[in-house]
Amino acid sequence: MKKLLVILMILVAWASASEVYFDSRFTLWKDATVYIWTLDGNSPVNANEFCLSLRRNNTGIGEPKCRELGEWERDTIATRYGSWLSNNLEKNLPSSYLRARHPGMAAKIQSLEDNIVLFLAPQGKFIQVAIFDETAQEPKAAGIVKATNDKIALSDDIAATFFNKRTKRRLTKEERLKQQTEPDDLYKEVPSLKIWAGAGIGYSQAHFPLTPDNWTSSHTKSQVKNYRVTKDSVSLWNFINDDDAFMSLYAGLTWHGFIGIELMYRYSSRDMKTDKSDTIYHELDHWEFGQHDIGLNILLSMTYPITPWFDITPIAFLGFQYTFYSEDIALKSGVRTPSNAYQRRIKFEDVYKGALLGIGGQFVFKKHYGLDLRAGLSSRGRDIYEAPSPDAGAAPTTIGKSTIDCFVSLGFEYHWTL
Amino acid sequence: MTFKKSILSIGFAICMLAGCADSYHWTASHPSYHKAPYGGIAVTGIENAFVITRSNWFAKRLEIGTDSIQIKGTLHCRNTFETELRKAYGNLIVLPDSANTKFPEESLKIDERIFIKGHIPEQGVTLKDSAGNVPPVVLILHEFIIGTDLKRENFFDYALIHNESGSLRKPDNVSAIFSYTLWDNLKQRPLFSAVDELQQPITIYKLNNLTNLIQLAVQKIRKNLYEGVVK
Repeated sequence: MKKLLVILMILVAWASASEVYFDSRFTLWKDATVYIWTLDGNSPVNANEFCLSLRRNNTGIGEPKCRELGEWERDTIATRYGSWLSNNLEKNLPSSYLRARHPGMAAKIQSLEDNIVLFLAPQGKFIQVAIFDETAQEPKAAGIVKATNDKIALSDDIAATFFNKRTKRRLTKEERLKQQTEPDDLYKEVPSLKIWAGAGIGYSQAHFPLTPDNWTSSHTKSQVKNYRVTKDSVSLWNFINDDDAFMSLYAGLTWHGFIGIELMYRYSSRDMKTDKSDTIYHELDHWEFGQHDIGLNILLSMTYPITPWFDITPIAFLGFQYTFYSEDIALKSGVRTPSNAYQRRIKFEDVYKGALLGIGGQFVFKKHYGLDLRAGLSSRGRDIYEAPSPDAGAAPTTIGKSTIDCFVSLGFEYHWTL
Repeated sequence: MTFKKSILSIGFAICMLAGCADSYHWTASHPSYHKAPYGGIAVTGIENAFVITRSNWFAKRLEIGTDSIQIKGTLHCRNTFETELRKAYGNLIVLPDSANTKFPEESLKIDERIFIKGHIPEQGVTLKDSAGNVPPVVLILHEFIIGTDLKRENFFDYALIHNESGSLRKPDNVSAIFSYTLWDNLKQRPLFSAVDELQQPITIYKLNNLTNLIQLAVQKIRKNLYEGVVK
């Protein structure tokens, strides 16, 4: 029985054979006024019946009003366009090819205000349907429905095919007028100066994603023996933890929405990579370094308003930073005299200088509250040029001369505009 | 929307920098253009479409008086055009220009910056010949410019049309630039529109060279009408 019902329903659906060629979502107003436009004044549906069909098929439509559009029926320009439209309405033809070219016709459509014109023209076994509103000089929706002498069934079919959508409240005359003079929500002038300050968290690691492990494994897998011995000391990641979370504080400004400058501070605590099998560390309670980065970035950005309350600003930045390490080391409480190796443990340079490079985006809500996502590369080293000296060959390598890592960060910001 | 526009304009700027602004589409077909005209065609616009620039240059070579070069030269072109078209389409109907020029002039978009200007019949109104018959397709010749060393982008790309032409020097080619529309007279829609350019190297320029130019133009139009068919 159920199967039969399904088959019947499919048959009914097939028999109705209505087809939508295109529907670019015209606005269906609550209490809509629908003008039925036919070429010969012999409408295949009855205006009052059509209104009842609308109410049956769309509970949100309120109390629609329907009438035949005699003004267009009697008008030469409209009739010419109408017969042309009937002649040209084809499946798969984009609506732009159905534009009314005659200025008189275009003016007629534009002056519809919030009324809907329902164009109906018989074509063999079908009725062509096209729907116009004031917003376009071409039909907003078009298709065909199966012709029938039963005007009520035809009305129902048209209503179900083209008018079965959510309705909007109609605006009053004053509201329409106001809307026309209302400024564009997305219009805004680029502020000459935008300032922001924020705090964030992030994560940095020495290994770059999507690159082979062996590029960095010599640094990341390194361990420190005897308080100072590693295979290689060119990168600080041979000594201290190379993947850690950091926190950041920053403030910046953008000039004319395009170029900006940003001061930032980052802090992370890095454990020493001590070799656990080395017995000399038995005396040690903890050994770590606080990493302080202070940097200055130049930013290039462009703001795109998405909605009145949400902007996206993609950013590219390039900057430099100074990095300081503060050592935090302590022996176990029972140890009186530290070992010789402890006394002569590795010392880092006072300050490292490096570069920052990256991209990101600021997502600003309600003009003030920003979320900031960044990703980039940062380096620390001693790239200050020194004149070669005769002792150069004998001089020890600078520890951490090439310390590079990558980072991602998430920040919460507050924005001001001046 | 603004976002989309900005992206588009950035894309456009990149496009300009990359130099792809040089590539134009010079033809446009209606999605329903499935069959090129064969055997019969109607033509309109040929009374006024032909324009000869550099009258003096042509007058000297074609041995026609300077004051009558426009009239005699363009009449020659028109007659050649008609004869050539008649050779190609046995059943040729020539509609007077007035059949079409009574409609307002409109722009037809061919490409992003390329627009044809011309008279196009109103939607719902068919063109009829003197006997009252309705020819199914009509070739509307909008413009046929004859000159020396002309480039069609200087005439049809709206970003370039204000460019001054170069100084008068010894020309290399006689050029013909012509725009036309194949009009579906039954459904009143443009089936195919194009702007074509022909360059004819100059050796000695006589009237038969001009005849040849028009012949080549007709061949080019026919070729384009075939190639423009939407498969």
